[in-house]
Amino acid sequence: MRLTRFLLRRTAQGILVVWGVITLVFLLRFITPGSTIDFVAPLDASPELRQRLAEDLGLNKPIYVQYADYIVNLLQLDMGNSLLKGRPASDVIFARLPATLELAIAATIVAILFSIPLGVISATRRHQPVDYGATGFSLIGISTPNFWLGIMLILIVGVNLGWLPTSRRIIGFGPALELLIFEGRTIGIQVWFEHILLPSITLGTYFTALITRLTRNGMLEELGQSYVEVTRAKGLPETLVKYKHVLRNTMIPIITVLGLQMGTLIGGAVITESVFNWPGLGTLIIDAINSRDWPLIQGSLIVIGVGFVVINIVVDALYMYFNPQVTFE
Amino acid sequence: MSDDVILRVSDLSTRFFTTDGQINAVESLSLEIEEGEVFGIVGESGSGKSVTARSLIRLIESPGRITSGTIDYRDEELAEAVREDYPEAVDGAFVDLLAIPEDVHRSLRGTAFSMIFQDPESSFNPSLTVGEQIAEAVEVQRRASSNPRSTRARTRSSAYSLRSYAAAAVLPGRGYVSSDSKDRAIELLQQVGIPDPEQRVDEYPHEYSGGMLQRAMVAQALAGEPDVLVADEPTTALDVTIQAQVLDILRDLQEETGMTILLITHNLGVIARMCDRVGVMYAGEIVERGSLGDVFDRPTHPYTQGLLGSIPDLDAAGGRLQPIGGNVPSLLDAEMGDRCYFADRCPKAMEECLEKPAEYPAEGTDDHAARCYLADHPYEASQALPEDYFEESEPP
Repeated sequence: MRLTRFLLRRTAQGILVVWGVITLVFLLRFITPGSTIDFVAPLDASPELRQRLAEDLGLNKPIYVQYADYIVNLLQLDMGNSLLKGRPASDVIFARLPATLELAIAATIVAILFSIPLGVISATRRHQPVDYGATGFSLIGISTPNFWLGIMLILIVGVNLGWLPTSRRIIGFGPALELLIFEGRTIGIQVWFEHILLPSITLGTYFTALITRLTRNGMLEELGQSYVEVTRAKGLPETLVKYKHVLRNTMIPIITVLGLQMGTLIGGAVITESVFNWPGLGTLIIDAINSRDWPLIQGSLIVIGVGFVVINIVVDALYMYFNPQVTFE
Repeated sequence: MSDDVILRVSDLSTRFFTTDGQINAVESLSLEIEEGEVFGIVGESGSGKSVTARSLIRLIESPGRITSGTIDYRDEELAEAVREDYPEAVDGAFVDLLAIPEDVHRSLRGTAFSMIFQDPESSFNPSLTVGEQIAEAVEVQRRASSNPRSTRARTRSSAYSLRSYAAAAVLPGRGYVSSDSKDRAIELLQQVGIPDPEQRVDEYPHEYSGGMLQRAMVAQALAGEPDVLVADEPTTALDVTIQAQVLDILRDLQEETGMTILLITHNLGVIARMCDRVGVMYAGEIVERGSLGDVFDRPTHPYTQGLLGSIPDLDAAGGRLQPIGGNVPSLLDAEMGDRCYFADRCPKAMEECLEKPAEYPAEGTDDHAARCYLADHPYEASQALPEDYFEESEPP
């Protein structure tokens, strides 16, 4: 079918893109100043020790041999050992990935839940108090810096009111769910929810504000199209005119931005993660870069690259669903 | 009042309140349309034809507003149903469409009257199939008829909202239209001469040609079996052969169902081909009205005469076109004043024309009337206005 064929082709293209990412990430090591050896070896290491370390890490082989080794290892999902932690880089990354995904998805859900209805209400009640409220909110939301909002939420909700914990991620969503299903205890989910609420609001506010504005403007533009008048003329209930006809056509730019934003969130929301001491990919990458932990840097970048590619395929598939004129031929 | 009259518009004014000032798009317009006839409104661009059409189905959007007048529609059932709640809107079998609330009025759209629009390409939602959109119109009518008019107003508003939000946002289109309506959409497509309707019904507007889309729009307008069809420039965006096809379809359907058509166009040929009676519109007013023969063969208003005179005559080889000098007035309230709006372009303008003319019977009967002093009075060259009269008096 149309969709299957499309998905197959996009997956093939996606693999090419990922290969490009992998290669670039590999080359990055050779154009970045600072030798890996200098970071790994003790400051007073003798030249022989440095030589042995380089051999161990395979750093003295020609580039093309290193590249071949790297690709072969990657195909076996081996990203090498983290220089810093001494464990396989993939273990370190996949231990952090759920935290990042949870936060990204939670922030996206917050954004979708609030922004689209708010944008629709705002557009359909133009120049009324609700509209001014919504546009005011999106202006403030877009201009509020993340770190400030995070700190304020911690200060007010966490410290002054004492309603929610201020930082950390005690339990992951997976284990919390297991606890619920196998032992019937809701405490896990509850703790998880309490901890993710503030970070996802922090991360989701800009997102919500952005999509609200986008929805409002898109709706206003679509409401001016002549098919809307035709739809009204045939007597369709106004809710259907707005949601079935107008909102559907407004979804295309919204999905684009949603996809792009989610992509950046998968890269890790470094600032929010730092503020809330959230153990995600963002802080991991910063640590890895600071210590020239190349296997870890490479592995993280590849995971993020794959995430981007997957989201883009999903976005394109959604385009096809919402806009039948898109064919990708 | 005649028994045959189905739509009676009196003193209708529609204004637009823009930052440049108030625009009188339709100015105290009155007309009567009889059941089963094709009534044509003809006029230049900017004469208020389309606004008239939209006023009739109450689709005037901000900053526009219908500021005065009544639109009486004859429907005994409806009159009975709304008499209790809105006694001021009912007059015998007539219901004033401007005096009933929006949700009652909405229940009449598509079922009592529907509309064909000018540009078929932009009149369909690009992201839903044509069949879905026609089936919606069928569904509107089905739900209306299973739901007596008296209760419409009360049961409508809340029932759809939540479910349709979920259905429309997640699975657009799955919530509203039933499969019966879809079948009816196929029949309608067949009726307007779309080949392979079973297959076409699932295609999107961009897969249709302009002519086919216009036919699909006719099908959509007919879906609710309306009593009155308002066709606003139904053929303007089409090429000539397709125009003829669409007009034939309209004509055939009209003869078949006996519905009333209000045809709005700037094309005199379309009027001549289709209409029983005609109203000529200028600057928001009907300046001359009468039967097709009255108006086309014996035009009384100088504007109608000019309009008919501007048609190229194929028999008179080498003859030049006879355009009407000047432009349509701006309709901006501040610039309009209280004279005959055509006086500045009129070759026979007299001092009398500086006052707003009433509607005078032409040829002694009220069936053919013109908003012109000359309709009922002789032209007196001695009272003619100097040719440059308006150039001097108007602000630079």
